[in-house]
Amino acid sequence: MDFEETPSKITTKEFLAVVLAGFGNELAPLTSNNGDEPCPKALLPIVNKPMLDYPLAWLEASGIRDVLLICPAPHRASVLHYINSDSSASSFPSLRIDLQAFDESENLTVGTCQLLRHFAHRIDQDFIIVPCDFIPPPSLPLSRVLNKFRTEATYDGAIATTLFFEQPKPDKTSTPEEWRSGPASTSVVWDEKSGTLLHVDTPDEIDDDPEEMALNMSLLRRYPRSKLSANLQDAHVYVCRRTVLDVLKEKPRFDSIREEFIPWLCTPQYNSRKRSKYGHILNPLHNLPSQRLALEHCTLHTGLPSAYEPQSALSSPMDEVAPTETSSLRVGVVVHRASAGYTARANTLQTYLELNRHFLSQTTYALPIDSESRSLIDPKAQITSDSMVGHTTKVGERTNIKKSVIGKHCVIGN
Amino acid sequence: MPPKSSSSKEKDLTDEDEVLQAVILADSFNKRFKPLTSGKPRCLLPVCNATLLDWTFESLALAGVQEIFVVCRSYPELVKAAIRDSKWSKPSLGLKIVSIITSKETFTPGDAMRDIYTRGIITSDFVLVMGDLVSNIRIDEVVRVHKERRRTNKDAIMTMVVKPSGVVHRTRSKGESAIFVLDAETSECLHYEHVTGYPPKKHAKIPREILAEHPEIEIRNDLIDCGIDVCSVEVPSLFQDNFDYGDIRRDFVHGVLTSDLLMKSIHCYVAREGYAARVADTRSYDSVSKDILARWTFPLVPDDNHPGGHSYEHIRGNKYLAKGNSVVLSRTCKVGSNCLIGAGTHIADNANIQASVIGQRCTIEANVTLRNVYVFDDAHIGAGSVIEYSIVGSNVKVGEGSTVARGCLIGDDVILGKNAKLGEFERVSRRRDEGEADESDKEDEDEQSEDSELEEAEARQDSESITAIIGEGSNAIVWPKGPRADEEDLDEVERYNNQRLMRIGDPASDLPLEYEGTESDSDASERESDESDLEMHALSRISSATSTSAISTSTPGLNIHTLHDAAAYSEFQAEVTQSLDRAFAEGHSVDNAAVELKTLRMASNVPLRKVREAVVASIVERIEVVEGDAAAQRREISKMVGRWGPLIDKIGGVDPVETIEVLQYHCAKSARLPLFGQILAALYQDDIVEEDDIRAWHARPEAKGEGLKDTSFAENVKRCWLVGTKMIEQFNEQESSEEESGEEDSDEEEQPSKKPAAATAQAAVGKKEESSEEESSSGDDESGEDDSQDSEDDAPATKAATAAPSQPSKPASTPASTKESEEEESEGSEEEESEDDALAPSQPAASKPSASSTTPAVSAAPSAPPPVPAAHAPALVSSTAAPAQPSTQDEESSEEESESEASDKEPAQTAQSQAPPAVASSKQPVTAPSKAESEESEGSEDSEEEEESEDDAASRATEPVPQAQVSTPKASTETARPPATITTQTESVATIPAAVPRPRPGPDVVGGQPLRPQQAAWRRHSIHFGDKVLKSGTTTGEKARRVVTTAGRQMKKGILTILRRNEREKQSTR
Repeated sequence: MDFEETPSKITTKEFLAVVLAGFGNELAPLTSNNGDEPCPKALLPIVNKPMLDYPLAWLEASGIRDVLLICPAPHRASVLHYINSDSSASSFPSLRIDLQAFDESENLTVGTCQLLRHFAHRIDQDFIIVPCDFIPPPSLPLSRVLNKFRTEATYDGAIATTLFFEQPKPDKTSTPEEWRSGPASTSVVWDEKSGTLLHVDTPDEIDDDPEEMALNMSLLRRYPRSKLSANLQDAHVYVCRRTVLDVLKEKPRFDSIREEFIPWLCTPQYNSRKRSKYGHILNPLHNLPSQRLALEHCTLHTGLPSAYEPQSALSSPMDEVAPTETSSLRVGVVVHRASAGYTARANTLQTYLELNRHFLSQTTYALPIDSESRSLIDPKAQITSDSMVGHTTKVGERTNIKKSVIGKHCVIGN
Repeated sequence: MPPKSSSSKEKDLTDEDEVLQAVILADSFNKRFKPLTSGKPRCLLPVCNATLLDWTFESLALAGVQEIFVVCRSYPELVKAAIRDSKWSKPSLGLKIVSIITSKETFTPGDAMRDIYTRGIITSDFVLVMGDLVSNIRIDEVVRVHKERRRTNKDAIMTMVVKPSGVVHRTRSKGESAIFVLDAETSECLHYEHVTGYPPKKHAKIPREILAEHPEIEIRNDLIDCGIDVCSVEVPSLFQDNFDYGDIRRDFVHGVLTSDLLMKSIHCYVAREGYAARVADTRSYDSVSKDILARWTFPLVPDDNHPGGHSYEHIRGNKYLAKGNSVVLSRTCKVGSNCLIGAGTHIADNANIQASVIGQRCTIEANVTLRNVYVFDDAHIGAGSVIEYSIVGSNVKVGEGSTVARGCLIGDDVILGKNAKLGEFERVSRRRDEGEADESDKEDEDEQSEDSELEEAEARQDSESITAIIGEGSNAIVWPKGPRADEEDLDEVERYNNQRLMRIGDPASDLPLEYEGTESDSDASERESDESDLEMHALSRISSATSTSAISTSTPGLNIHTLHDAAAYSEFQAEVTQSLDRAFAEGHSVDNAAVELKTLRMASNVPLRKVREAVVASIVERIEVVEGDAAAQRREISKMVGRWGPLIDKIGGVDPVETIEVLQYHCAKSARLPLFGQILAALYQDDIVEEDDIRAWHARPEAKGEGLKDTSFAENVKRCWLVGTKMIEQFNEQESSEEESGEEDSDEEEQPSKKPAAATAQAAVGKKEESSEEESSSGDDESGEDDSQDSEDDAPATKAATAAPSQPSKPASTPASTKESEEEESEGSEEEESEDDALAPSQPAASKPSASSTTPAVSAAPSAPPPVPAAHAPALVSSTAAPAQPSTQDEESSEEESESEASDKEPAQTAQSQAPPAVASSKQPVTAPSKAESEESEGSEDSEEEEESEDDAASRATEPVPQAQVSTPKASTETARPPATITTQTESVATIPAAVPRPRPGPDVVGGQPLRPQQAAWRRHSIHFGDKVLKSGTTTGEKARRVVTTAGRQMKKGILTILRRNEREKQSTR
């Protein structure tokens, strides 16, 4: 009896993580080519750790084994080097990273939908799309999203689960920098009670009608008490059923997952026309009855809003009770509140800076213990505890380091 | 600081001690309960045997309201009496009830609010309710919250009470509901979206700007609007300031929330506890009654606190029997659960009563079955009757063995005969006595419309089928079912199909209520197909329902759209006829008439062809028929066509082929069939149709009358086509003969025999004249090409000389006769004399020039004579047209002319052959010179003035467009005209704006027609507006359409006033 082998095999089958690493055009000039050497966004350090470390650690913590890492072809070598390097191999021993490159240039980026379509043959099971730049807080384990997906997909046929986080309120004390451009938040309509994403306000729609947001009445009929939030940001973390890819193939015109596909994916749940059209492709699980009873008692399950709330004990033949759906085709949403911990996507210079600052404030730095690194720091140098200095960095005499991150192998002063 | 706070608290208490006022709007402002409400106001209808007004008083009394104003409009004396006799007016209750009688002109709640404002009765925050409220909500709590909010925020002017219920709830009206967008924390109402049930609303539009200040908002589609508002004193004054506020929700709330100026806010009070609902329609009448029986309104239940003061005994199963042993129940009768039986009612053997309310002193005979029926006082239900889901008024007698299907409303005092069979959703009321009807007519004019409806109903009562419905010996009349004829004018909430959602017992399952959405914006094509599919789907559903279910036999649902369209067409047709009548009678300029038509078209959203049909029809019908005198007949035709023909091409698009077809089809239907050929010829003359167009038309299958069933009509169409055939033969002959010889003599022999050709000739002459005016007006410095042109034309120049003597009077007469308008008649009368002279020779002479004018080669002949003869020729022409022409100008003109033709010819010809806009604009000069011509006689005399503007005119005319307008073959017939003509043209620029060809085909040129800036501005407006119409048309938004129509009417009005002003100015300048 080998207990250790079996469970790991089961977990590998469940999800495949698709990590998307792009060029990071928003992060220029940090990501612009350094001579002939490309500067991959995924490897930009946040407090001296490559950005990619954070999502990978997040994935591993939730028990994901298989990772499909997609990066631009020019970055392939350096990313591959990083993956095979000691640091990552030691920190993520259980991950099996399959690195795939796609041909694109900075100017002609391939849409995320196209990437997904292109690599669809490598995805055989339900999958999680994670961007390389999402830095999750410790208070938000991926398993929270996965568990919601697991229960809902089984219980009422949800097709995807998304993750949104509340944008922290702008800090009044921080001075606005010139290049500061806050990440644009999207307006989303969602049902709080059941955690369902109902509508995402896409840029296309804003272009169509900058004055008003049009919400389908069938949406409002099915979810009569929905929330419209303008302060949420998409973490670009999507847990999807494998069948979602089949629908994606049907929609060749979609370019961006976040701006086009996910907003569209929200519609079949209340649009019966689309439901009938795509329902069979999405083909949610039908082994419901067996698990239904168990899941009804599950604490994770919050229950669907009942369209008909019986206020009166009288049964009136005039009111039709809404037919019970076999599968909801829902898109779940997990909302991470700002009060529960800072999180952001490091996809703009501003959030990149904010994240660095955030992590600095979280840890207290102590001087390196090993003598080799220690010897390089001049004893007369002043380094405050809200700073960080990498290995084998030489810090000269009377250097004053405050609230800063210094990388490895740097020379400061003298 | 505890002392202070306690003192402030005391102060609060004293604040709240001030008298709490309430306003009851006791009128429904609609007719949903007809015919139950003919004879009494809705607020006096009994619900569970107590009037609605009593329920409302009870609800308010529960909230501690001390002073109540009852605003009543219809039957005020009844309301007053009801209040006087009720327990509420007892002094011991401490309730002060004041009834306010508002005028009959109060049509909306908004009017009532304005009335309240003018009376100045409101002193503090007050509760505003409708007179049909049943509620046990603690309104005093709402008032407290409201006042507290007011303390910190003076702009919070109103608090609406809403109750969460879920989307589908029986007391939540399907036909009329709303989406409230609230701030999650403060429950401030940020946006109010009214939702009608049918046609189903597709999208709720939420303004994005509210997100800027409220990042987290709630969209609530699950709230019942209880119709209870706590308002501050400003509210009536806001109604006063905004006189267009009608409905409290749709106008006032929406207006306040969307206003950028008011800066007021409205809040919602989401009542978690309690019950509140309005009896706004028969369906909610049913559901509220059931709710009361099921004790959801506790403590307002029949056995306790019955507002009518009755006392009932509550028996298990929610049965209520009047106390005092006055109810007589047979031993074998069955009374199911949820029933209420009033005092003094007798129920006989084997009667079965389920979920029904029976009034006082009723008699239910043996074997009667009542299911979900509301019977008012003193009714008598005959033995063996079966009634379902209906409301039976007081003192009604239903004969034995009758059947009343679901959804019927039986008015007070109706007697139904034996074995009456009321179908589903019938409404019957008592037939009034003659005298009574008159009396009520006099009594209140306001009920007029109702009366007319009644009379209409009365009028169709004689047939036997009606007797079958209501039984022998009945005094009832059956009200018409289905949508009313004036449905269009109704508010969309009150339209028939939407009202069906508010009827008792109507499941309305055949109405597609759920808009099934669209594909996302990124795949538009898919979306479109989806939408059309949906519509088809919806329609088929309705139609199938019509064919199968008896419910909707009255509802020709399928026809709604087509009927609607047909109505729009007929309305449009009528409007066009009117406006053309006006134009003809008052002698508008063609352009003014065209502007009016365009506006009409956009307002009614009809295709261009319809306009064309209307215009052609009205022109044709206005041609006077002259029997037996072909010449006179021709004169009539050319007069009419010349004056109004250009209008055909100014209605917004030019399609001569269609014009011919329309003309053909009209003539085929009309008594003026024999005139078809002549009219067509006249159109040809006036350049409205070209030879090619006639050929194109002729080749079309429609022209041959293919696919027409109606034999006589088809025959007529065929006859018209044959006329066309003849004409084309002529064209062919002309062409061939000219190719052969180029001499007019050969043609001359053939042509007099054929009328159309003669007319063609006439046209040619007319055109020659016009074109000469046009051409001469253009001065160009390029003279290099002159020589070549001249040399080319040298030889035919002699021909011009020969032709000239034969037609000297002709050119003058043709334009004058064709173009004279009534307003210019006084001036034109002189010319008319000459015209008569001219016409005599014109017919024989016509044949001659026709030969020259029809082919380009020959017609070019007289066009470019060398300078010297040219100078001569115009002299001839102009001297007849305007004898006062100063001869000194001839030289000048001849120079100009010779210069111009060179530059003109090329653009003219290319434009004609290639550019459609140029062709379109070629209609322009037809009127412009004519005006010039008619004014010439007077214009030439004040030549000083003219010479001033001469330069201007010349420079205008040099632009290529006017030249391009002159169609090629005729364009080349150039005889110089003195600039004097041009100056008169410029004069007409000043007076008749649209008649002036503007040189630049800028963005202002619409449909090939140049405009003055001012007019262009309107046009731009209307074009923009037209797009809108199209848009709304495609989505078939009824409302949009309505709005557009009214907007269109307003615009039309505006344009008319401007046009009139123009006319006035014109006269004053003269």
